[in-house]
Amino acid sequence: MKLILFTLFLVSGFLYTHAQENYDASLIPKELLQHASSVIRDQQMSVRVESLDNTIVQVKSAITVLNKNGDEDAEIVLEYDKSRVIKSVKGIILNEFGKPVTKFSEGDFENQSAWDGFSLFLDDKIKYYRPAFSQYPYTVVYEYEMKLKQSLDFPQWEPVPGYGVAVQKSSFTFTCAKDFNIRYKENNFHDNLVRSKNSALLNTYTWSVSNIKAAKIEPYRPYYKNVTPYVQVAPEKFRYFGLDGSFTDWKTLGKWEYDKLLASRTELSPETIEHMRDLTKDISDPKLKAKKIYEYMQGKTHYISVQVGIGGNQPFLASDVDKQNYGDCKALVNYTRALLKAVNIDSWYCVVESGSRYKVNLLSDFASMDQGNHIILCIPFKNDTTWADCTSQTIPFGYLGDFTDDRDVLACTPEGGKLIHTPKYTVEDDLEKRSAEFVIDANGGLSGNMKTIFFGTNFDSRDEIVNEPVKEQYKMIQKIYPINNMDIVGLDFKQDKSFKPFTTENIKLNARDYASLSDGKCFFMINSVNRIESPPNQVTNRQNDVYISRGFTDIDEITYTIPAGYRLEKVPLNITMDKPFGKFIATMELKGNLLTYKRKFQLIDGTYGKDTYQDLVDFFQDVVDADEYTVSLVKS
Amino acid sequence: MRTFLILVLSFCFLQLATAQDFPYGQISTDELNMKNYASDISAHAVVLREYGKAQIQVASDDNIKVMFEYHVKIKIFDKKGFDEATTEIKLRNNDDHSDMDEIEKVTGATYFTGDDGTIHKVEFDPKKVYTTRDYKYQSTFKFTMPALVEGCVVEYTYRLFSPIGLHLDNFHPWEFQSDIPKVYSEFEAIIPGHFTYNAALRGYLKLTKNTSSVLKGCFSTHGAASDCSDIIYAMSDIPAFIEEDDMTSPKNYLSTLSFDLVEFTNPYNGVVTKETKEWKDIDYSLKSDYAFGGQLKRKDLLKDRILPAYAGKTDDLEKAKAIYAYLQKWFKWNDYIGYESDGIKKAFESHTGSIADINMALITALNGAGINTEAVLLSTRENGLLNDLYPAVNKFNYIIAKANIGDKIYLLDASDPLMAFGMLPLKCLNDKGRVFSLDKPSYWIDLNLPQKETSNSVMEFTLQDDGKIKGTITNYSMGYEAYKKRVAIKKFNTTDEYVEDIAGKFPKLKILKSEISNLDSLDKPVMEKYEVEINIYDKMAAGSLTFNPFFLDRMTTNPYKLTERSYPVDRGMPGDYRTTLIMHLPAQYVVDNPPKALGIALPNNGGRFLTDFQASDDNTFTFSHIIQLNKSIYSSQEYPYLKELYNNIIQSEKAEMVFKKK
Repeated sequence: MKLILFTLFLVSGFLYTHAQENYDASLIPKELLQHASSVIRDQQMSVRVESLDNTIVQVKSAITVLNKNGDEDAEIVLEYDKSRVIKSVKGIILNEFGKPVTKFSEGDFENQSAWDGFSLFLDDKIKYYRPAFSQYPYTVVYEYEMKLKQSLDFPQWEPVPGYGVAVQKSSFTFTCAKDFNIRYKENNFHDNLVRSKNSALLNTYTWSVSNIKAAKIEPYRPYYKNVTPYVQVAPEKFRYFGLDGSFTDWKTLGKWEYDKLLASRTELSPETIEHMRDLTKDISDPKLKAKKIYEYMQGKTHYISVQVGIGGNQPFLASDVDKQNYGDCKALVNYTRALLKAVNIDSWYCVVESGSRYKVNLLSDFASMDQGNHIILCIPFKNDTTWADCTSQTIPFGYLGDFTDDRDVLACTPEGGKLIHTPKYTVEDDLEKRSAEFVIDANGGLSGNMKTIFFGTNFDSRDEIVNEPVKEQYKMIQKIYPINNMDIVGLDFKQDKSFKPFTTENIKLNARDYASLSDGKCFFMINSVNRIESPPNQVTNRQNDVYISRGFTDIDEITYTIPAGYRLEKVPLNITMDKPFGKFIATMELKGNLLTYKRKFQLIDGTYGKDTYQDLVDFFQDVVDADEYTVSLVKS
Repeated sequence: MRTFLILVLSFCFLQLATAQDFPYGQISTDELNMKNYASDISAHAVVLREYGKAQIQVASDDNIKVMFEYHVKIKIFDKKGFDEATTEIKLRNNDDHSDMDEIEKVTGATYFTGDDGTIHKVEFDPKKVYTTRDYKYQSTFKFTMPALVEGCVVEYTYRLFSPIGLHLDNFHPWEFQSDIPKVYSEFEAIIPGHFTYNAALRGYLKLTKNTSSVLKGCFSTHGAASDCSDIIYAMSDIPAFIEEDDMTSPKNYLSTLSFDLVEFTNPYNGVVTKETKEWKDIDYSLKSDYAFGGQLKRKDLLKDRILPAYAGKTDDLEKAKAIYAYLQKWFKWNDYIGYESDGIKKAFESHTGSIADINMALITALNGAGINTEAVLLSTRENGLLNDLYPAVNKFNYIIAKANIGDKIYLLDASDPLMAFGMLPLKCLNDKGRVFSLDKPSYWIDLNLPQKETSNSVMEFTLQDDGKIKGTITNYSMGYEAYKKRVAIKKFNTTDEYVEDIAGKFPKLKILKSEISNLDSLDKPVMEKYEVEINIYDKMAAGSLTFNPFFLDRMTTNPYKLTERSYPVDRGMPGDYRTTLIMHLPAQYVVDNPPKALGIALPNNGGRFLTDFQASDDNTFTFSHIIQLNKSIYSSQEYPYLKELYNNIIQSEKAEMVFKKK
């Protein structure tokens, strides 16, 4: 009874103080307006663990929208499903002077199924409200309460929700019984975090920040979770969709996932087991056995995402996939594990945060259920750990590509979880090597052959095209290469799907009017095929370090046979640059009527100081200039 | 007794169905062994046969519904065709879900030849269906066939029941053509005599079968009964539809059969409602519709609220502009379109509404202020072109205002706060619209407006002895170009941030001073004026300097790449883009190879590309460059000329001038 009284008091006090606030837009400190489309005036988030299957989340927020770009920041989107219930939501819109204009409540929200862009089905639904007021600035004050029927996956506190949002005041309170042990991690706070703990009746942890300026989007910025401040909390003991458990680190969390979500999912029919043994009976090398089985799986299944049950965390039964021939990443990895088990090859179900743009590690010092968004398979052969993504029907065995490479992932093994690192493609591995022999005729037409080999993560850069009908292939290739009037005469692709896969592209082409000829002069662009068109945007007062997530190497060599009797009219292209983050060499040489152009471009991955940025822009600008170099010839 | 009757009826109806439908569950070995589709060997999948039947009938709950039965057999050649085994069906519902589309019983199976040469059949699990909610009035029902392998054949059937209230205007349409080819597609429409529809076939393909017969006494409810007409439409060897860039809605070209209601006799009371017989009927029904005429006639509703917006103005055009601007700022569009409003008063008070809410509020507000204003209904580009064979109201999906001031007309859409008075968003520029007013018969109006996009850029540069260029760039954006410019600038919180971004894009360019005018004066051109310094040459030592007038923004690839084009290029409106460069060279330099004047024109006065070079004595020259595209739509026959025009533009922008020391 005491407990209930206490919480009631807490809630009403919370509302009371908020209603008193003056949200006149002119009270926003001036320094917070710079680059801001909206300002969070005051946000309070509270998470309260009432019992193992009852967590109450309350959010109370006041946000001032300064212009149209900030409208989205004031939208309220609540995700819910059977395990996350919206208890209440309401709010009010205030005008520039902080005077009420209109109120809204749950009935004004629109309902919709959540969609992630690729799933056939997701269990989640959303309710959203878009404040409709177009006289800027205006302020939206709202509050909502949700009940989570679990105590494993708590919302993170992220005081700065996005770019262009300044924060005047934001706080987070986590309340739980004294015997409910938690771990928490504070990320990317500088000296602005205020923290306190009160252990009177319950354990109450409070964090707060104030006066954070709006951030601009900067090119080559680090992953936002490496920059933006946030606090995450994880329990020790928990209940999740009726399953109890406890963990303190990746080892124990991985163990729980293995035991409760995975262990019972791999059973297969005796026929299928027999079929796998039969399929591999003539192969002795376990890696080749695994390859055979992986290819069988690729041939048999296709990817369809259906997210249901246990928070979308449990794979379909392997026997279901065996019948239906489809599944999502979890189901297909689990199925492949089961097939491999049939021939006594052990493999691990691995949780990874996927994405090509950034390589994101699971946090080595903080285990929690909310990290990772994809599942891949790891086969720990002796001295030859092999990886596989089971969602593609076409990629070679052992190939991860840029979606999951070079990052820490969680392997869920019978002995417990462990963090392991996926393989990295080096700057030299990610090579695109091109050679072309072109002839420029007396009318300015270009014709010839071009051969390009794609190594490393470039392997699948042509995968989309390879399986298209020829007519479509031509259209797609015409969009890739910037040669005007390009007519493709011949085109073929070869994919080498060995353990070090690569793709070879051969194009025979011609293009009328490539060069302009008149009055004894001839002009054409030296780099007909692989130009960088513009440098990254210059930024003033850069805040972030320069982060290049992926290095690569491009090598191009083109020979042009030009019409006889011409000489160069201007200084030939000859540039060499060597920077910590990149290298560039471009040269040309005319011998008789043979003009040879060589270009090597290398970007080197890593994190560089923010002062390096201008250097990077200048580097790219010089590359752009060199790529735009126009050969200028005059009749001798 | 009634139940009994219905049972008997649905029984005989099932008998009839099997008479037309192809047998279920019979997959031939030829179909399973098929390696590709001879008429289109690049196809990843082909519809072997499909059959649909739509019938207006009395459903088991005693309500009149459109029952649609669908049965298809698809051959899947390879993995790229697997998507064809996933089906998504849009289900409509009304406000309170009292009327909603419902799917009954999906049955199906996947057939394939196993490694052992025998035919395998895997049944579809009817539990594996999913419904997701798209928005207020629509959900999507999805399912996917099991056990797909390359070379398999999938077959499925389902039934869809739609309350007549949601679909009275449009009987179930039939899409003959889709993104995969079809061997044979047949549709049967069974329509009781209580309902009369006009059928319209869109697209360039022809029917290969079209028969009709009468089903005696097939429809009966509460004592009313009628015969049905049973019409069969079919096509064979239907090619896949391939989309191209810059085309308007594929709906304009896809072969589709649609039905528009002409007349409807209410079976319960015998009242005859003529739906679309003549425009005057449509005019009448719209006028009496609460959501249309009912809203438009309330011209005094907003009068007092709007009055302050135009207080003191006497000229009608000034008044109209003030009211338009006021409502543009007042409303925030909620992304819903349509031509019927639930109530403009409620929308006005909540500051938000659909296109209909906002533009009907505009129409009534203008009328309330004494400015004669009518409603124009149209079909957006995405919704497809209007077919004017039969008068039909349900093909419209958008409403705008037409203000008649003096002898001029102004078409207005107040849903976008950056759209200038008298200009329409691109999505509305779709051939024609129909003007409706409360007191006159409706009529067509051409939406091919004088609206166009126009830009004029003037650069005045001085090349200095230190190798830098100093000067000014002045850009004028007019018409729709001004709208686009405003959208681009307003993406930033302040104009300073916009200028910073521009400068950031050109590292060689330093903006010393900038001025942007008329950003919020929507009727005027947006002017941007930049005082710049450009690091163009490292050193002036070299005897000659090469110079490309397009060094800041050069077109290097042709947007039109196809060798052949099947559909017209629809740009929406004409365009006029001009660039003028005035260059002052240091005294010791002269232009070595002045570019020649060029003039290339498209046939039928479709457009032209011009360049001109004029040198004055004092080391100054003027270079101008004009692209004019005079038409909104270029036919596929004109495509090669358009492509060639751009080829010439690129060639011209490639040429470099040489500044030589005297």
